[in-house]
Parts: sequence; C-alpha cells; structure tokens
Amino acid sequence: MKTTLPSIGASECLLRMYDEKHEIEDYQKGVPRWCTGCGDNAILTAVQKLCRDEALAPEKTVFVSGIGCSSRLPHYMNTYGFHGIHGRAFPVAEGVKMARPDLKVFVNTGDGDCCSIGAAHWIHAIRYNMDMTVMLHDNQIYGLTKMQASPTSPIGTKSNTTPRGSYLEALNPLTVTLGISNVSFVAQVVDWIPDVLYQVIHAAYHHKGFSFIRIIQRCPEWLPKLMDPWLHDPQRVMLLHHENGLQISPSLAKVYTRMEEHDPSDMNRAREIASSIDPIPVGILYRDDDIPCYEETRHDSKLRTTSLIKKGLEAELDKFTIWPEGGKPA
Amino acid sequence: MEANPKQKIVFFLTGRREGTGLEPVTKRLRPALLARYSDLTALRFDFPVLLNEKGGTADSVLSLSALVDRASEEMGSDRDRIAKHGYRIEHQIRKDLSDKGAGDFTVMWESAVKRATTQDDDLLRDSGDRLFKAFEASGRLVDVDSQLPVALIQHAWGAVQAEKAKAFREKADRLLFKLKEVLAAEIVGSAAGRTPEKLKAGVGASFADSFDFAALSKILVESTPGSSLTDERRRRIQRLIQVLESQKFYAREGEQGYPFSFTSSSEALQAYQQRHEDAVELVKALTIAELESKGDYHEATHSALFEGFGANGLDASELSQLPDYLVCTDSHRLDAAEMSHIVELLAANVPIKVVIQTDDVLEPSIVAEGHVALGLRARTLVDIAIGLSDVFVFQSAASQLYRKRESLLGGLSYPGPALFSVFSGSNDHTVGIPPYLVAAAAVESRVFPSLVYDPSAGEDWASRLNVDDNPQKDSDWPSHTFSYEDEKLQSLSETFSFTLADFMAMDDRFYRQFSVAPKSEWANGMISVPDALDRKWTGVPTEVPYIALVDDQGRLQRAVVDDRTLLEAKRCRTMWHSLQELGGIHNSHAERMLALERKARAEIPAAPMLVAEAAAPLAPAAPAAAPAAAVEAPAPETLAEECHGDDPYIETARCTTCNECTQLNAKMFAYNENKQAYIADPDAGTYRQLVEAAEGCQVSIIHPGKPRNPKEPGLEDLIKRAESFM
Repeated sequence: MKTTLPSIGASECLLRMYDEKHEIEDYQKGVPRWCTGCGDNAILTAVQKLCRDEALAPEKTVFVSGIGCSSRLPHYMNTYGFHGIHGRAFPVAEGVKMARPDLKVFVNTGDGDCCSIGAAHWIHAIRYNMDMTVMLHDNQIYGLTKMQASPTSPIGTKSNTTPRGSYLEALNPLTVTLGISNVSFVAQVVDWIPDVLYQVIHAAYHHKGFSFIRIIQRCPEWLPKLMDPWLHDPQRVMLLHHENGLQISPSLAKVYTRMEEHDPSDMNRAREIASSIDPIPVGILYRDDDIPCYEETRHDSKLRTTSLIKKGLEAELDKFTIWPEGGKPA
Repeated sequence: MEANPKQKIVFFLTGRREGTGLEPVTKRLRPALLARYSDLTALRFDFPVLLNEKGGTADSVLSLSALVDRASEEMGSDRDRIAKHGYRIEHQIRKDLSDKGAGDFTVMWESAVKRATTQDDDLLRDSGDRLFKAFEASGRLVDVDSQLPVALIQHAWGAVQAEKAKAFREKADRLLFKLKEVLAAEIVGSAAGRTPEKLKAGVGASFADSFDFAALSKILVESTPGSSLTDERRRRIQRLIQVLESQKFYAREGEQGYPFSFTSSSEALQAYQQRHEDAVELVKALTIAELESKGDYHEATHSALFEGFGANGLDASELSQLPDYLVCTDSHRLDAAEMSHIVELLAANVPIKVVIQTDDVLEPSIVAEGHVALGLRARTLVDIAIGLSDVFVFQSAASQLYRKRESLLGGLSYPGPALFSVFSGSNDHTVGIPPYLVAAAAVESRVFPSLVYDPSAGEDWASRLNVDDNPQKDSDWPSHTFSYEDEKLQSLSETFSFTLADFMAMDDRFYRQFSVAPKSEWANGMISVPDALDRKWTGVPTEVPYIALVDDQGRLQRAVVDDRTLLEAKRCRTMWHSLQELGGIHNSHAERMLALERKARAEIPAAPMLVAEAAAPLAPAAPAAAPAAAVEAPAPETLAEECHGDDPYIETARCTTCNECTQLNAKMFAYNENKQAYIADPDAGTYRQLVEAAEGCQVSIIHPGKPRNPKEPGLEDLIKRAESFM
C-alpha cells in the first residue's frame, strides 16, 4: 500500500485527497505454503487480480474459509479474513454479510469442507442466496491430511482411506447446486486456463447473490496425473459462451476449439451440461439476477449512523472493562 | 416529514418555507464533499507549518509533514519504523495545535513525543529524537487560523529582508574598509606619517634601538614625495563614511534602526516620506563610495551629477538596496482613505509590500438582504493593482499559502510594490468547521480564486497572470466523486460540484436560504446548482436547485437552494469566467477565431484521398476485399510467437502462477504485474534450468529455445529433451 495513513500529500490541494491505489502485491500477505504446482496458487492470483482491478478496499473485503488446503487462502490475502472451522465457512460468511452488508464477502472452501462435513450448510447457503462469491477449490482429494478420498474423488481413486479404490460415484457439486431452490449463479472453471478463471470470478463477483464457482484444480502432490488427460487435450474442455456469459478471446478460441453457445438463463440445459464429466464444461452454467438476497429480505431499516456504530462499539468494549464495585457507572 | 413539489418551488422562488415538509439547515450539516474531512487531526497535509529560523529564505516556511517525510528518508534501514513513529508524533502535534493554534516547535515536538508514548516506549522516543535532530530547524509551528496569514507573510518577509540586510552589510563593510584605506594611505604617505617617532613606532619594541630613525625619516621625506588628498575629496570620503556608518535602514545588533513593518498604509507612507532624504543620502553614498573605492570618481564629471541626486526620486533598482516596507491590514479596516493610500503607494512604485487579510468573503452586501459582497474591498484592490501593470499581485486562501510559497517569496523579493490578498478562513459564522477547510472551500467554490500576477514574468498577460493553482481551472466548478453507502450499506458514488451555494451553506448567516428536502422528494424535480445555472425557465420553474449536505451522523441530505443564492452563484461564476479569460482559459477572442477557422475549414472541399478513405467502409466492393486481407494478415499473436526466434519464452497469459519455474531460478523467471511468469533474464541461469522448468511446467507453456552458451555441459541431451517444447 502506498501509505499507512490517509494523506493529502505534502503539497496537494485539500479536496484532492490521496486515493489509494493497490497493486497485486498490496493484496498479498505472507508466502503461500501450498505445494509447488498447486492450483490454489492460480486461484489466489485470480482473486488478487480481481481485487486490484475492482479497487477493492482491503478494509471492506473479507475472505472466509473452513478447513483444508484451500482454506488457507485468507492467510495470503491482505484483507480481512476468517479461517473458520471445518465445514462452517458458510455460516460464518452469512453472519458477516448479515451484520455488515457493506463488506465484499468471498468464501474459499474445498471439496471436503463444502461437500462432505459442510454439505448441510452449503445447501442452505444456496437457498439463502446471500450476496457472496463462493469458490469451491475442487482437487478431488483431502490434501491437507495427506490423501484421503473426498466426496468428489472419482470412483476407483486409491487413497489412504480407500486403498483398493473408492467405491462410490463422485458427487457432482454442479448438479447439487442447480437442484437447490433459489440458486442464482453456477459456474465451472479449471485452474489451468487463467483467463477464463479470472473472467468467471469477475462475473461471479458482479452477480448479486450467492455466486457458486466450482474450480477443478490439480493436486500435484497426491493426484498428480488425475487431470493430465484434460490438461493436455484441449478438446476435452468445452467452453460455454454467450453474450450473457463467458466471452471467448480469439487466442483462447485458437487453443480450445470445442465450444457451445449456452444461455445461462436456461436451467434445463444448464443441468444437462452440469452432468457432463468429459468433456469438462467451462463457463457460466446458470444465472438468475432476480432471486432475492436473504440479507435484503431481512434488512434492518435502522440506519447505521455514526452514533449507532459508536454505541455498539462501546457496548462491545464495555464487555472487557473492569468496572468499579457496583458495576458500570450510570 | 413530507413535502410536495409546490413547497420546494415556493421556497426556491421566495425563500419561504410553507408547511412542515422542508426543514431549515443547521450547523449540524456541512457540504457533502467536506464529509471526509471531519477530523483534520487524523490527516497528513500541508499544515501546520514551521516558521523556520534556521536556513535561508527558501527554507523559511516548512510543512511539518514534508519535514517528517524528508527526515525519514535519511534514516536508512530504520526508515519505516521511524516514519511510522513520525506520523504518530505528527498526529499528536495536530491535536495539540487544534487546541492552542501555535507554539514553539521544539517544545511541541518534545511534548508530543511524550504524549504519543502510551507506555515506556524507548523506540518511539528514539525515533522522535533522531527525527528532530535531522530536521535542523526551529521556530514557531503555526496552524491555519486568524493569525496565520500575517504571521507567515511577516516571517517570510523577515527572511527576505535578512538576506537583503546581509548583502547590504557585506557591500557597506567592503566600501567602508576601502574608504578608510584611502584616508589611512594619505596619512602614512605624508611627512607627518614619516616622523622619526612614527617610524620607530612602526617597527615595534624589538628593533627600537636598531635603526637611526631620524636619518631614516630624513631620507624618506626627501627621497619620496608625499601624496595628499584634496580637501574636497577628503571631506567627501569622510562624509561617505559617516553616512554609511550612521544609516538606520539596516541597523547593526544593539543599534536602533528604522521600523519597516506597519499596520496601516498611512503610517507606512508617513515613514517613507520622513525617511526619503535619508534614503536618497544613503543610496547616493553607496553609489559614490563604489566609484571612490575604484578610483573612478572624477570631480569634474561626477560632482555636478551627484549634486541633484534623488531630486526626481529613486528608481526601483536603487530602492531595492533598501529594506521593503510591509503593511499588514485587515479588509474590514479598508475604509476609503486607507484604500486610497494603498493605491497611491502601489502606483508610486515604492518598495512596499501590502498584505490584506480577509476573514469574511460573505459579508452582506449593502444592495439587499441575502446578497453578499464576495470580498468586495480586497477584490477591488487586487483588480486595481493588476491594472497598474507593474505591481506584483498575489491572491490566495490561507490553506494554499504553503504550496504557493515560491510565488509568495517571489512577490516579497520583487523589486517593486506588491499586494498580497489572503483569505484566512477564520470567522465566527462557519461554526464548527476548521479555518483550513473554510479557506480551501473558498478556493474550490471560486469565491476566492487563487492568482499570481507577476510583472517580471513576461511581456503578455498569459505569462504574467497565473491561475493554475485553482482546482480544475478549465471548469466552471470543480467536481469530485462522492462515494457513500445507501440504507442497505451498498456502495454508491455520485459526482458533485462544489459551488458558491455549497460555500454559503457553511455560513450560519445563510442557513435560511437552504431547506432540507425529504428523500422522497429527491427524484422529483431536483437538479444540481450547475445545471440550474444553465436552465432558462419561462414562467414558474418545474425544477429546483439543490446542494448535497451531510449531517453529524454522516447521513446524506439534499437542501433546496433559494433564488438569491442561485443569483450569487451566477455572479460568482461570471467573475470566475473573467479571471479564466484573463488567465488564458476559454479566451473569448481565441474561441471566436477558432470558430471562424473551423467554419472556414469545413467549407473547403475535402481532398480526394480523404474522401476515398472515408468512403471505404461503405463502398460495396470493400466487404469482398476485407476478408481476404484478414486471412492473409497474420494474427498479432502469431507474429509475437514468430518473433521469439531461438530465444526462450513463456506464454505468459496462460501461466497459472504455480511457482514451479520461479522456485527453480527466481532471477531467470519472474512474475509480471498480473503475477504471471515471464523470462526476466535468459542469461541468469543455465539451459538445463530452462529445460527443467519447461518439463516441470504443468501447463507446458515454457519454451526453452536454443542454448545460449555452447560450452554448457550435457547440451546434446538437453537439446533433445527441449524438442517437445519448441
């Protein structure tokens, strides 16, 4: 960041106040501890780029996560962050948004965090449709605990908990999300096409409501070869484009020639596309801008004036004050 | 609270509030654009400033923030820590100054260091000490208040005079030394200077008995003729020495000199007239002494010339050797006699610097209730002074005095009369708003525009008159983006202009000319003041002008502006247009010429080639040709790829920031502004590293190219491995 204090500058006119402008590095905090080659890095870069391009004020931005490799992301963002408890990223994020609708809320969750222990919260979070951008980092394995099968692991995945290969068909986060009432934005991307990853996160950020992005990502440590067939064969990736969806750049179209025009308002086609595992559909599957957001439905009409905020803050700080005998003076 | 459109229109036209829908403006409201400046002590800006007693004229006025920034830069590896502590101390000083207005810098800094230290914090104390040592400055620290304009200008004037005094003393001492030498030489060379006693005294006690001084005296007197001055010359030199030694214009330490700082022009005029003879005498003495010291004074030529020296007054360059007169006065003391004296002094081209401080630019006009004089007296003087052509004119609000200090010092050093008109921002009517903000708002609202007229800057108006320090000088009113949150705490932004109406809304005498409208009425025929100024209503208007205000709870409000205020805003804009035009902006003559030129050009038939180019997209044959060209022309990406040749490269746009390559060699591979990898320096590592990076890259976007060092071991194998990435 350019300054630590709001500044007019030593020889600036008063009303031309210093506008803080941030570069990607300004949103970076600490050194990511993810493995080299991990797709989480690509997601981190994409959200940092979004923060820079949208000039998001760090003090007005919050990243909430649960537990897992992906959930370390708030640590690497120089914004507010909440590294929550396993499976509970959504309730925390909902609380934040309810209390502070002025904040831009992002949720980073993994396939274990969201689709296993947090599944119930996930389903209701979709139904609540609160304005937040949700990134499901789906590497199809529990990475932080060193390779156990997750709900999205493909059938036959050999892991520490399924040494003979997993027995169940993988859960499809897209079809689940599209099946819940009040769903308002569903997209899928892969971490190895950064242009599309950014575009979709950008569109999700601008969507008013619960914007769910499943990001298929590589785990170079525990499933290093899993995505190779898709990675090395662009024909196995299907780009969804539409005037209300993804715009494909000419250079991208040269590499990824398999494309389909898909209107994101078409729920039936979205569900059909969501079922496809190979090719991997990439783009915005569904969006409906008219679904009401829960925080607005339950909006408290009381204005947050400076005196109200001060009163609330003082009440909170009073909790930590040691009062003289007889309690707080009147 | 409910209002109907009729109530707003009635208020706009008559200033009367009917019913209960419209609320009067109170001191709880201030212009929306000032909302972010509710606590100036938390901001870093030009003020307070130090009236520095160390250093030269250029460093006579220093900003506290600039001092801290400058000193922090010199702190080497501790820079960040010391700068942060410096900001805390600065913050504390601003808080202290907001209570008492001014104080000694050393005392205030030490006190602020103590007060900023919440507990035993040795590091903060260390930072405070090191910063203060690096400042190498001392003096009074002053904030914007009613004392500032005079205090600051007086201090800067003092610094300029000190430099003049230094130059004068050097010159006078040199001349005195030479004049005395001339007299001494005459005595030494005369018979009286060669007596045996004098010669004996000249060699000292050690050789007092070594010579026959009587014989020596005889030889000297007889062998070398003595030289002697004419009586007239001796008297002239003695007179010069007396004038230079007894002058009171530049008094030496401990001596009583003439005062040069006055509070009224009549006092200054009187003093000037009383000292005129002395001034002529001194300037004459300096001129003759210069000639005498070089032996260039010829009585036959010069005596007659100097006889009537100064009879026609002294010119500017002669007067510039003497101190300037400073008159500091308030605009409310500018009665007809005082104004007349000032104009006379300025017109007489005497070295006088007049400072007019204005505390109230909205004083009521004698014309009618609700109308304002817009700083009439000071403005009139400025207009007259500019009209005199050779007067340096400086007009500024107190908030800009620091940033315009170079112009200010230029005016104080100007060898002729100068007028300084400064708006202090300090009055009893802008309740609760710091003078700094009021002063800055006066410049923003064009009611007290910033200008410098420097007769020495050039021959034409454009060179002499400078209005560049006005915000958005090309516009009628400065506009700023105002960001806020709505009831649902969602971010919104609008653009507001800061007009005279906004400035008037800060003043309790004009509260009644504004009415706060309920939010339900906002979308109903309310337009901004700049838009309203351009409307030409016939009959009863259907829209009313408004300004945006915020209350003490941070809530955005809109206040309807009455017709009188709109009229004043129009007048203010007209005056600003005149100044713009004088300053070379939207010059009416130039714009008329431009319009004529455009018209003339439009009438010239277009050249055939231009017609063909313009018609090409519409020509029926074009579509057929265009695709062919598109097919043949290589895409920009293809071109870019082809350009790499044998050099290694990365398809940066496809990089997933996975850190593989950067961890292999951070000098060879680096991230760009989008945090995507590129080859920063292909020679910063080996070809082996390039090939290994290409193999390790999960998205296969690294192309190692050809080896750059033919002597690298194992090249054959590496080239083979690199083939799949070509």
